[in-house]
This record gives sequence, structure tokens and C-alpha cells, in this order.
Amino acid sequence: MNLNISNVQVSYGGKEVLRRCSYAFEAEGIYMLTGENGSGKSTLLRICSLLEKPDSGIVEFYEGKKPLQQNIHLRRKITLVLPGVGLFNASVYDNVNYGLKLRNVPGRVVRKKSEEALDFVRLSHKKNQNALTLSSGESKRLGIARALILEPEILFLDEPTASVDKNNVAIIEDIILHLKNNRRMIIMTTHNELQARRLGDKVLHIDEGVLQERNSILNY
Amino acid sequence: MKRVMLVLATFMLLAIPAFAERIICASTTSTQNSGLFDFILPIFKKTTGIDVHVIAVGTGAALEMAKRGDADVVFVHAKDLELQGIKEGHFINRHDVMYNDFVIVGPRSSGSGFQGLGKASNVFVKIADKKYPFVSRGDNSGTHRKELSLWGKAGISPKGNDWYMEVGQGMSKSLRIASEKHAYSITDRGTWLSIKDSGLLDMKIVFEGDPLLFNQYGVMAVNPDKHSHVKIREAMAFIEWLISEEGQAAIGSFKDGKGNQLFTPNAN
Amino acid sequence: MDFILESTKQAFLLITSFDNELVSIIVLSLKVSGLALFLATIIGLPIGTAIGLYRIKGHSFIITVLHTMMGLPPVTVGLFVYLFLSRSGPLGFLGFLYTPAAMVIAQMILAAPIVASLVHSAIINVDPVIKQASITLGATPIQASMAVIREARYGIISSLLAGFGRLMAEVGAVIIVGGNIAGYTRVMTTTIALETDKGNFELAVALGIVLLLVSFMVNAATHYAQRTSLIPLT
Repeated sequence: MNLNISNVQVSYGGKEVLRRCSYAFEAEGIYMLTGENGSGKSTLLRICSLLEKPDSGIVEFYEGKKPLQQNIHLRRKITLVLPGVGLFNASVYDNVNYGLKLRNVPGRVVRKKSEEALDFVRLSHKKNQNALTLSSGESKRLGIARALILEPEILFLDEPTASVDKNNVAIIEDIILHLKNNRRMIIMTTHNELQARRLGDKVLHIDEGVLQERNSILNY
Repeated sequence: MKRVMLVLATFMLLAIPAFAERIICASTTSTQNSGLFDFILPIFKKTTGIDVHVIAVGTGAALEMAKRGDADVVFVHAKDLELQGIKEGHFINRHDVMYNDFVIVGPRSSGSGFQGLGKASNVFVKIADKKYPFVSRGDNSGTHRKELSLWGKAGISPKGNDWYMEVGQGMSKSLRIASEKHAYSITDRGTWLSIKDSGLLDMKIVFEGDPLLFNQYGVMAVNPDKHSHVKIREAMAFIEWLISEEGQAAIGSFKDGKGNQLFTPNAN
Repeated sequence: MDFILESTKQAFLLITSFDNELVSIIVLSLKVSGLALFLATIIGLPIGTAIGLYRIKGHSFIITVLHTMMGLPPVTVGLFVYLFLSRSGPLGFLGFLYTPAAMVIAQMILAAPIVASLVHSAIINVDPVIKQASITLGATPIQASMAVIREARYGIISSLLAGFGRLMAEVGAVIIVGGNIAGYTRVMTTTIALETDKGNFELAVALGIVLLLVSFMVNAATHYAQRTSLIPLT
């Protein structure tokens, strides 16, 4: 599945946040979206993941050459992990399988996938704990597990290592690198240029709402 | 969890009876509080199988309620208003049922001079003259209307005076207020008998016996021509029973907790 | 003081003997208020949730109206329901006046705004990220709303308990539309009013004690619901 955005424009309260952003996300791999705080990268991510609509411009998903209708079926093929994550006041286990339950997945499958997902983010030992008691790093990991369990074709991550302690940053970056090996498309934001270089296959940069691709390392 | 809620909800819906095979009798609080209905209605039910639900309010409210069609029969003690209602076509088939009388009561410490005044209206003249505190029901009930007719006969307009208190309460409550305020009042003998030894009142009867204090109870049905939903067959059955030998005997045999007969049947 | 002690003593004897009349009055109170709350929830829960979750046009006006209705004096509600259900009124043909059904209707009208308002408060106290997270995980609009409601569940339960407590305690509405008929439309509060008026303090005090007990249990349940919603510290 590919994503194409064209002339996406957004204004908040009279101020232009995104100015005519265009890009074609075509290959698998990790796309890093960098920029200062407030540069508009979160907004762009939310628009790409269909959580919000732009004021003008086009956001289109394709299977091969065919554009996909933007209904619940498409939405269920992409997932976004928000910076605040949004964990439910329930157990870690119930949080991770939420998306599966929405899709009426049978119980046996839910159990198996939940265990695998929690294993992958190294949270199995906290399965029955209330999710709101987790540290910020653990919360992000659970958020990622909650998204991954759905095997989305495109995974959006908004600042997955922001406000997270060093240990967890390492764990989360490790998880993201593992995902790259599974041949899927990941689009994530970060304000950490070093992290972008470490993890990203392609790096895009937003400055005052203008989107540009940064290809060669020599540009830095 | 969801299943529990569903079962509970169904149970509750079925548990509330919305309709009832019954007739509604609009009556007064003093009649209800005397306990008469608790005694005679089970007897009526046993004989006829009919449930009578009594709504006890003030006389004025009872008549209004019935005129609106919210009752099937009316059982009050305001003969002049009842007959007027018959004349206006609201009610039909009125009969005298029973009587008791009113007594004028006052502080236990008051003198015995009132009885000698002969007429009830004279007692009121004296009370107004001496500005003795007086508690009135003030609620358009049968008792209140009797009281007002006596003020009328005495040629006095008590409203607006400091010593005259209109409390807008039932009979028991009004007497307790009168007792607290060392005031005079007028009450039906039934309520007086039921409450006088309870230790709640510091009062006594200061005047009784004048035919003017006679309290006639009557029953009548709401005119089905005005309100077609009235259960006229059952309403008539109730009226017929009240004035029958069995009904009259039941009324006469009703006694309060101290063995006093409160009402004298007089349906002839 | 003797008088109070004596009445209280008689009241306890009445309670512990499970006197028939006493029990049937208590059961009717629970049925009427319980059913009224259930119906009020069916009306108030969706309204409170809808206003909390969606930016409906004029929603602040609706909230103001709800808050005003929360403070409606029960006697006023009773009066209006009476006028509607009276044979001379528009809904007189139903024949509901002076039946438990009328009492349920009046109490439902009293409780619905309370439920709606308090549910609304509970919902808006849920972090907006919850709704967004649900959508990103593939929730339909209804499923996303359900997730928010689930997060607000303890606040919602507290609202329902508050509504129930208010209904059990009111007398103005049920006495006007119910008529306080012996063995048929007499509930705890209306019986207390009647028996106090008659000077029969034993039954009145007995019911007063039961009413306090019910109120205490409702409050304890609310407290428990709040406490279990708190995250354990370790």
C-alpha cells in the first residue's frame, strides 16, 4: 500500500501550519519526519493517518495503481501511536488486544497474538497490571504493541521516544529496527536529528510548514 | 453484566402495575385519618370484590378533582357544595351517609365560660373580642368552611388579624399547632377523640352541642355524562352499599383505638 | 426526649419484626425509584454522552438547560405531570394518574437531567486522547464513544447512584401524582409525611431510619466506586 499527499494545507487560528506539502510514500521502510517543536510534523502525521482532515489538498492511499476508498476498512489497515498514547484504565493485556476485539477476532487468536505482542515489546511480565501504572517508557511500548498487534500496512509513530528515559529509548529504537526487517512501511516523527539518521531510510524535514526531503548525509 | 441488567429491567417493568381494577374515591384527610376507610373498605371488597382507592385531600380539592374527572365517587362533608355540584350537573345520585359533629377546643387552662354562651357563633364573637389566638385550617376543607360559616353568623371577618392564624394543614397538625400556641380552634369530634389522650395536646373542649356544629357526610358519583370513563357501575355499587344496612352497620361499628364510635350512620 | 426515645424504640421493634406494611412500603419505594432511574438512564446517558463527545451546535445552551432542570423542585414536576395525566389533561386517557406508573414517570423526569448532567461531567473529564487512540486503532464512531464511556464508568456509576439517592428521598412529586393510596401508591417518604401528620410517630420514625440506612448504603456504594477507580500506588 502506498500513500500520496499533494498540496496539503492546514491553518490553525489564522496561522498557516502546513504549506502545500506533497510527497509520495512508496517503498517499504522507515520514513523519518524531522523538525523543531511546533513545525507541524505532528499535524502532518495526523493528517496522513486520517485522524484529521487538511483544509485543502489531497491524501490518497493506493494499492498498486488503484486509489482506495477512505472507509473503515482502509482505516483498519493503518495505525497511529499518539505521543500521549491514550492507554485505557484497564490491564495491560486488555489494552493490547483492544483493536482485535474491535474487529471481532476470535478469542483463541486474540490470546495468542496478545502474548506475542507483549513479548515483542518485553511487557509480558506486566500482563495483568493496570496500564496506567506503567512508566512513560513502558506506556509507549504498550502503545506500540497495541498498534502492532493489528499488523497495519502503514504504521505511524508520533514521537515514540519523547519524554522517555534512556533505557526505554534504546528498547524502543530496537523494536523499531526489528520492524524494519519485517518489510512494512513506518512513518514516524522525531525532533532528534541523530535518531533520524540512526533509524531512517528516508528523512523528510519540515520547517515552518514546508516539507522537504533530505537525502544525502552531506546535507547536514 | 449486561445480562444481569436486562433481567433486572424486565423484572422491574413487570413489577409495576400501571392499571388497576378499582374506583377512585375523593375524600378528606380528616375522614382518612380517622381510620374509617381502613375499616369499612375491606368489608366492601369482600362483599363486592371492588377495590376502592381513596385520595385524601381537602374538601375543596376533592370536589375539584372529581369535577375534573380524576375520581369516580366523592365522599366529603360539605352538603351545600355537594348539592351545588349536583345542580351544576357534575355529580349524580347523592345520599347522606353519616354524621359527626364539630367541637370548639382551646387551651386546657381556659375557663368554663364558653359553654354557657349557648350558640357557637357567640363563642366566636367572644374570641374575636378578646383577641384570643385562633388556629384555622385555612385550606377550604369541610372543617374550614364550617368555621367560616360561623364567623359569618358572628358577623366577623377574622382574616388579617394577628390573633388569627391560617395554617393550611390537616386537622391533627392544625390542633398540634393550636396547642403549641395556646390557641383556640374548631375540629371534628373524630379527630379530637383520636388525638386528645395522645399526650400531644394541652387542650380541652370548650364548647359543643349546638346544631350549627352538626357535620353531615354525603357520597355521590361523578356524572358519567361529563366524564365517560367513570366506572359508574362500581361507583353506584359503592354508594348503594354505604347506605345499605350492611354499610351503615359497618360505619356504626367502627371504633377508634380507644373504643369511641366516631361516626353515626344516618342514611335514611 | 422520652418521646423521641420511645418512638425510636417502637420503630426498631417494627423494623426487626419485618412488619408486612413496612416491608411492602419499602419494596414499592425501591421498585418505583429503581425503575424511574433505569428509564432516566436510558434517556440521560445518551444525551450526556452525546454532548460530552461531540460538539453539537448550541451545546452550551443545552448544558445550561440541563443544570437548571437538575434543580427542579419535585413538587413542581409533580404538579406538571399531574396536569398532564389528569383526566382533563392531554394524557388523561392513559388512566395513569394515582398509580405507581405516574410516580415512575414523575421521578423519571426528575432524574433524567441529573443523569445527563453528571454523565456529561464524567465524560468531559476523560482525556480526549482516549477517543483519538480508539479511532487510530480502527474504532467506528460508536466504538470510540463506547471506549470513552468505559473510561468514564466510575463517574457514570456515581451519577446513577446520586440520581437514585435523590429519587428515594423525594416526596413532592410522588405524593401529588400517586395520591398516597394505602397499599398501592404509598412509598417511604409519603408515608412518613402522612403518619407524622396523623401523629403516628412509630411508623414514621421506622421509615425514617430505613430511609437513612438506604441513603447510607447508596453513599457507601458511591464511595467504593470512586475508590476502586483510583490507581493503586504500587
